[in-house]
Amino acid sequence: MDELLEHFLVEGRDLVAQAAAAFDVLAREPGNAAAIDGAFRAIHTLKGSVAIFPMGAAERTLHAAEDVLERARKGSAALDAAATAGLIACLDAVDRWIDEMARSGALAGDADRAAAAVIARLPGQASAPVATAAEAVPGWARQLAEGAEGTVVAFRFAPDPDCFFRGDDPLAIVAAIPELLGLDIRPADGSWPSLDLLEPFRCISILEGTSGAALEAVRAAFRLVPDQVELHRIEAAAEAAADPGDPAAATTLRIDAARIDALADGIGELLVAVNALAPLAARAEPLDRALAGAFRAAQANIERSAAELQRSVATVRLVPLAPTLRRLPRMAREIAAALGKPIAFAVSGEGLEVDKQIAEGLFEPLLHLLRNALDHGIEDPAARREAGKPAEGRVTLTAARDGDAVLIELADDGGGIDPARIRQAAVARGLLDADAAAQLTDAAALRLIFAAGFSTARAVTEVSGRGVGMDAVQAAVEKLRGTIAIDSTLGAGTRFRLRFPANALTTPLLVVEVAGDRYGVALDQVVETVRVDAAALLPIGEGTACVLRGRTVPVLSLAQLLGAAERPAASAKLLVTSVGGERVALRVDGFAERIDTVVRPPSGLLAGVPGVSGATVLGDGGVLLVLDLPVLAA
Amino acid sequence: MTVRIEAEVIHLAGRCPAEDADTLLVALQENPARTVELGEAQRLHLAVAQVLLAARAPVRGVPAGDFLARYLLNLLQ
Repeated sequence: MDELLEHFLVEGRDLVAQAAAAFDVLAREPGNAAAIDGAFRAIHTLKGSVAIFPMGAAERTLHAAEDVLERARKGSAALDAAATAGLIACLDAVDRWIDEMARSGALAGDADRAAAAVIARLPGQASAPVATAAEAVPGWARQLAEGAEGTVVAFRFAPDPDCFFRGDDPLAIVAAIPELLGLDIRPADGSWPSLDLLEPFRCISILEGTSGAALEAVRAAFRLVPDQVELHRIEAAAEAAADPGDPAAATTLRIDAARIDALADGIGELLVAVNALAPLAARAEPLDRALAGAFRAAQANIERSAAELQRSVATVRLVPLAPTLRRLPRMAREIAAALGKPIAFAVSGEGLEVDKQIAEGLFEPLLHLLRNALDHGIEDPAARREAGKPAEGRVTLTAARDGDAVLIELADDGGGIDPARIRQAAVARGLLDADAAAQLTDAAALRLIFAAGFSTARAVTEVSGRGVGMDAVQAAVEKLRGTIAIDSTLGAGTRFRLRFPANALTTPLLVVEVAGDRYGVALDQVVETVRVDAAALLPIGEGTACVLRGRTVPVLSLAQLLGAAERPAASAKLLVTSVGGERVALRVDGFAERIDTVVRPPSGLLAGVPGVSGATVLGDGGVLLVLDLPVLAA
Repeated sequence: MTVRIEAEVIHLAGRCPAEDADTLLVALQENPARTVELGEAQRLHLAVAQVLLAARAPVRGVPAGDFLARYLLNLLQ
């Protein structure tokens, strides 16, 4: 994709989110001056950005919205609820067009009509001034252009005095102007202050100059500061003198994500290699204690530096969740409108930073859960009133950091999920028999909605019935090494809780010993490890069980699951995991160390082996198979 | 270091960030007669350039950075 467009997609969506947040405030407090200002700035900047691309419809729409906000700002026309709704409709349309630009690089044919429709919803359209296309060229611009050959663009850039504090460098922006012909830096106040009065971190300059490039190209260089620059194209009869521009200067480095991934992989390997030092120190111990001690001290240093490096790289991979989450409110409005259900959708925690892989992979499953919540969760307004709830359904999405994990919750105040109906439907669809269904706890019954092909909707609706089930949501979440849990109270609503590891580079593993071999188990699959007396294992039917914390938990032999024989022992070491919301204990011969390592997905011969989620290379060069407990125990 | 201060000369080298503006300003306030050597400068933040413009400090050398050499140097001389 064109780099400029890529920039725009990120910035544009950011500005849409800023404006949306301001409109949110305005919907609650129509006169909030800070929100009007915030919305105006975002819309104004966005208008400047869309002008670079073939997005005339968006430019017109934003211009009209800007007019409305400008009048509200000056107090000549207050914003009422209808005006705010009109502004939101404009913003939604622009957001859709940005999506279209991302998809196809152009707007669909109906964009002009759609623009006219949303603009018509804005107040005071008849009295709105028509955009003045050609403005008179001011004297300063003519002066700058004097002596230039051919048609030039004159610019006057008056940076915000506080821009240095934000990390901006206006000189770098100017250096990126293509075909720069001349530059002057003047004091904004008319004269430079004496050194005693000079504040070094306050921008007191105005940058003026000319460029031989096209107006659009010069405007593109100022796309981040469109409100601080004036541009004028000055025609001349003579031929333009082409001048190779200075290479683009940027203060931020944009790096191909693949390179960061390669770096992360390399650090993963380094951490694994460092793991080899401890056994070497142990081997040196009987030969030379002093050497072994020095060895261990060196090992500790390398480990610390490697871990620091890993943290730095993990931070580079962190991206804000906002670009993923901020697309959802518009989707929610569209879905709710299609369903004819009034809803209030609130998002919080979008400032949270997560690993880029998670930020990228989260949108689809969240959209699906949102669709489901609006379609199946939230009742019709009539049914809600009957149940004594406000007609407007509430859906909230929150993102929060929880220790080493990122927690994302989507909650609705709809009708909840009826476990009895889920059981019935599962039996009717032949997923399990009636006895098995009756034995499931309510929590386990709810999890049946994640079974492949399961859908309890009585009628396939246009919104949710797209052939993607909740099984796809679960698969997407698991692909990101996340888990998904459901709480539902009949009549009161449903809450989906998604949990992801915050640091996706290495996986903490517990090494276990089984039938003479060692295996790795992802620590986030282990609920607890316990040691019980062999006598506490009770034969039940054909299997074994034991009582843990007052609950009967089935006990499986991991050795037998792996095709080996169980070794009798006086005490049983149990690894408790969770399978579809139910606890299952796996008997192992011993627990060994905890390691942090890079787990590679299974390949070659291993790829087809069920219950193996990957493999990792140990410090001594050995390979450790990583088991997928829920699959083995299911 | 992107700012190196000697008795008579202040050297700006490499990519001078905004923070250098303060260092440069203090050095020029101490001794306004100091010459600023730009020969090794790749890039100057506007904050740094502003101090040079306001101080009208004598400069010497042609900046290593193309943009500085072509567009800024003549404003400083």
